Amino acid sequence: MSGAHDRHQSMIDQQRMTITELQTPVIQVWKGILALPIVGSLDTARAQEMNEALLEKIVQTESDIVILDITGVPVVDTAVAKHLLETVSAARLLGAEVLIVGLSTRTALTLVQLGLDLSHVTTRTTMARGLELAFDRLGLEVVPKRAAAASEWAGSA
Amino acid sequence: MGRLGVSRVPIVRVEDTLIATVLEDLSDRDALLLQEDLGRLIERTGAAGVLLDLTVVEIVDSFLGRLITDITAASRLLGAETIVVGIQPAVAVTLVELGLEFKGVRTALTPEKGRRLLRQSIAESRTGKYRRG
Repeated sequence: MSGAHDRHQSMIDQQRMTITELQTPVIQVWKGILALPIVGSLDTARAQEMNEALLEKIVQTESDIVILDITGVPVVDTAVAKHLLETVSAARLLGAEVLIVGLSTRTALTLVQLGLDLSHVTTRTTMARGLELAFDRLGLEVVPKRAAAASEWAGSA
Repeated sequence: MGRLGVSRVPIVRVEDTLIATVLEDLSDRDALLLQEDLGRLIERTGAAGVLLDLTVVEIVDSFLGRLITDITAASRLLGAETIVVGIQPAVAVTLVELGLEFKGVRTALTPEKGRRLLRQSIAESRTGKYRRG
């Protein structure tokens, strides 16, 4: 009986570890730009872990910009917003600017109705727009390689 | 030019910039002396910028936190832009938890990046395009 219980417990522990590892991937998308896609709900413990991982990575990669993607966060309430703002503030103390991307209309309205001051936070709707802004901040530009690609590029834009 | 000021924080002058390197966890008294030192030195030297290096600081309490915000604001009034550099991740976490987010204080990861940002800030303040970081 207790053997089965132990096995269950170790399985749960292992799964929890896997989830923890999956939860906070900090990706360097370009020199000086980090991306942090958040999927699922954000509780205090997870937010803290995420924060620590991010700050370490900023120091390690000497990054100037962090793109925080909240597309995968189902509900942004006061608590989640507080965690996000804490991350923004902490990263800023290390000299990095945080862009929050993946806001939906509903999220935007919720944040406004909650009366949170987001005037000092830069936000965009998609990761692509965030990345574009990040490149702009670093003085970089993405240009098409050939003429043929250029017309296609213009067509798709 | 050698070490300036009377506080336990060494302050050196490089061209038009004052560099203050906090080498240990400051007592409240030393922190206040640093504030006075910086003010007096900006006045005397006409420095356009201050780099406050916190790389080796492991603890920033609410007193020092508020003082840093004050130093920045006061320096600006004296015509010098301040960049705080080298804040450690653990210190950043503590500051945010204390609700000290250094509003209006510009920050950079390393002294080198700080110098670059300082150049930019000084240029902006001269052309009147200064905006809060």
